[in-house]
Amino acid sequence: MMSTMQRLHLTHPLHFVIGLTLWSGWFVTVYGGHAVACEVIPPDPEKGVFTLINAMLLLVSVAATALLALLTVGCWRIAKRHEGRLRFNARLSAGLYLFSALGVAFAALPVLGIPPCL
Amino acid sequence: MITLDSDVTRHGDNPEHANQLHSDLNEIWGNPRGLKALTIVNHTTLGLRFMLTGMVFFLIGGMLAMLVRTQLAFPDQDFMSPDIYNQVTTMHGTVMMFLFAIPMLEGLAIYMIPKMIGARDLVCPRLTSLGYWCYLFGGIILTFSLVLEMAPNSGWFMYTPLSSNEYSPGLGSDFWLLGITFVEISALSAGVELTVSILRTRTRGMALHKMPLFAWYILAMALMIVVGFPPLILGSVLLELERAAGMPFFEVAGGGDPILWQHLFWLFGHPEVYIIFLPAAGIVSTLIPVFAGRPMVGYGWVVFAIIVTGFISFGLWVHHMFTVGIPQLAQAFFSAASMLVAVPTAIQVFVWLATLWLGKPKLKLPMLWIVGFLVIFVCGGLTGVMLALVPFNWQVHDTHFVVAHMHYVLVGGMFFPLIGGLYYWLPLFSGRMPSETLGKWGFWLTFIGFNITFLIMHWTGLMGMPRRIYSYETGMGWDIYNLISSVGGFILSAGIAMMLVDIALHFRFGKPAPHNPWNAGTLEWANSLPPSAYNFISLPTVETRHPLWDNPDLPRTMAEGQHGLPVAGHGRREMWGSDPITGKVRETIHLPGNSWWPFFAALALAVVCISLLTSVYLLAGIAVIVSAFFLLRWSWENGAHPKAAPDAEVKPGDPPLHSRTMDGPGLWAMSITMLANGSFFLSYLFGWFYLWTVSPEWRMPDTSPLSLVGLVAAGVALTAGALIAQKGVQRLRQQSDKGLAIGMFGSSALGAIQIAVTVWVLLNANLEVTETTHDAVIMVGLLYVLLHAALGCVLSLLQGLRVGYGYVGAHAPFEPAVVNILWRYNVVTFWIVVGALAVLPRVIGS
Repeated sequence: MMSTMQRLHLTHPLHFVIGLTLWSGWFVTVYGGHAVACEVIPPDPEKGVFTLINAMLLLVSVAATALLALLTVGCWRIAKRHEGRLRFNARLSAGLYLFSALGVAFAALPVLGIPPCL
Repeated sequence: MITLDSDVTRHGDNPEHANQLHSDLNEIWGNPRGLKALTIVNHTTLGLRFMLTGMVFFLIGGMLAMLVRTQLAFPDQDFMSPDIYNQVTTMHGTVMMFLFAIPMLEGLAIYMIPKMIGARDLVCPRLTSLGYWCYLFGGIILTFSLVLEMAPNSGWFMYTPLSSNEYSPGLGSDFWLLGITFVEISALSAGVELTVSILRTRTRGMALHKMPLFAWYILAMALMIVVGFPPLILGSVLLELERAAGMPFFEVAGGGDPILWQHLFWLFGHPEVYIIFLPAAGIVSTLIPVFAGRPMVGYGWVVFAIIVTGFISFGLWVHHMFTVGIPQLAQAFFSAASMLVAVPTAIQVFVWLATLWLGKPKLKLPMLWIVGFLVIFVCGGLTGVMLALVPFNWQVHDTHFVVAHMHYVLVGGMFFPLIGGLYYWLPLFSGRMPSETLGKWGFWLTFIGFNITFLIMHWTGLMGMPRRIYSYETGMGWDIYNLISSVGGFILSAGIAMMLVDIALHFRFGKPAPHNPWNAGTLEWANSLPPSAYNFISLPTVETRHPLWDNPDLPRTMAEGQHGLPVAGHGRREMWGSDPITGKVRETIHLPGNSWWPFFAALALAVVCISLLTSVYLLAGIAVIVSAFFLLRWSWENGAHPKAAPDAEVKPGDPPLHSRTMDGPGLWAMSITMLANGSFFLSYLFGWFYLWTVSPEWRMPDTSPLSLVGLVAAGVALTAGALIAQKGVQRLRQQSDKGLAIGMFGSSALGAIQIAVTVWVLLNANLEVTETTHDAVIMVGLLYVLLHAALGCVLSLLQGLRVGYGYVGAHAPFEPAVVNILWRYNVVTFWIVVGALAVLPRVIGS
């Protein structure tokens, strides 16, 4: 339990990969979820982007971005309290969380403008 | 028998003692000659073998490229028949990607990494040896198909249905599928051991944030291999099963889908580009600070870029498939991700430029190749961003524009830094310096020839010339451009030939290299030139990123045995095992010596490969058993075995031997192997759900053919076996081996029950594996869990026996913890298989 908590601390190098793993999970979810939704409940093409599928994809993307942004801020704040190795780890993690958050936001932009199953 | 006294070793600053240490360490680590050279497991020798073999395959691939350019030099040529042309183009791509680029870079990493991180070898030396032999034998088998005029001819990505039986009835596709899978064993072996070596064998004090950048790049590459290669292995297994046994995974009529192959191939194929690029970028990040004479600007930014590239490159695979009919929104996701990956690449380019800007760059020969890289790779990267845009991608899909882009990225991004790196490290390989004059001629001819060949090819592509065409009619407007490309190709060849001549001649005529000839800051230059088999007489404490810049005297004090582990009296090959984050020393790793088992195992696997090719399945089955025997026999010589470390004594103050702890690097190796295995398994699940969702003729019966009761019974036996194994490990952690052997035998017996029940379920399912894809996929899933169950069963049985022999127990508790990881993996994957194949179809229905 103790070692698990240590690993979850924002200065642990595990955070180098958590943000981008979340990005990957988000990516697989929206790509896979979108494909399955189009097979199971394809919406009327005349609805354009105003479909349940777009709404759900947007919701998941906003949630992922918010979570990653939160972790960015957390790592950045922790980094200020440390020096040396721990500071390096936390700052690098903050950068990677930030990139992941922006990555979700950027790759999700098409949800706002493209109908889902065309 | 070596009788060196440990007290003597501590006074190694006396040159006589240092010489004595050298001779004693050499006796332990030295390479045998003659036939016994086949047993060598040393990373320096094997790294060189990888690179030399890679260069031979590069020459073969290069000659194939020249044949292609000769054929396309003029319109309406019949220099080659269409079938031979298809074989030549397919083999050019295959050889360059699978037999040159990856093994060459792996070879460089295998050679360099221990020297850079202050270790004496890689952490699994016998695995290095197995990897090399699998690569060599697999490469020979695949290349031999050219001699037989039976080479694969469906393109290096082997798209189905072109590569399926209907359109490729000969053995060409089989050569590719079996040969490449064989070679991939090698890549995965290197991936696992490079990962563990970098994380667990850095010298004392080398914390993660002080690690050389090259090690960061190789760590990312190795992990990408571990995760990225299994999808292709799965695809190859499925396609070979379709071709050999008629299981219709990619045939629409049976319920399969040829697009599944494209997904599996590109799930591997796109990360592959970055698997090749990252180590090459690692070379660039190593050379630029040396020749700029200052530390890299933005070390943290480079690490950031490496990690981002490693992840994002797995989210781009569909941009190779924009024209197959995927919804626009999905294409937009992949288009955006494809643009995202340009960000970390651009960060690296700016960091390199900033370092050059702030330093005092010297344009020595290695640096010339790096400048060539910067020019060509930036152009290739920009056309990559163009190709990420869906409309442009559609426009130039399958044209020579894509061929040009790919070569700008791969030759510019990999070959130029590689040659720069080879020139840079040449003094380390040979102890001699290259010729600047001949080398510069080689560079300029290569650079000019390359651009004449491939810059022009962008235009032929934009003018509509498709890739992989055998010939073209005059009057299409492509004649002059193709001729120029072909001329450029021959200039490029002349440049490469000149560079190879330069390298060959330098071994004889090169000036002897001084110590640290380029004034580099990293530890590999603390070796003698050329290096000894054990690298370093003593292992230093390193707490900076440039140990040789901060302490130029370090090579001398290391050679005099003034640092860690200057001991040879025990006769073991030893090095530090360190904490992956802080670099604090945790244990003394003892490594195995030279061994025949990797060579024999690879030889048996080669027999499996050839038997499958020739459809002699009985022989293939026997060879599988023989290779399994060799591999298990190899695993027998571990822990407290007389050939490993029967005597656990270490010098006072030194940490214990890893086999006497519960936290040796083998645990990491097993975990990373399971990561690769998990990637294979997830690819399988992806295939199952993909076909279920998308395949147009997918046929799922109303009721699942699998007995849920039977599967649950098998799962209960497996879980019980795993719990017993876990209990044994918990007791070992409390330094008790009471009931350990009985527990191991019990786990093995429960594993046997799981196998028996699962086989019963399989036989009672009456699967029609050649009729429907549904049944064929289920068969593969059940075979997967059966294979793992058998492995768990055998390994636990052997552990029980080893307890009896005294090789494992409270005094040597390490191995059961390693086997326990497999049991845990088996439990998780088995229940997922039950859920996916037997429960979900019952819940959701067909």
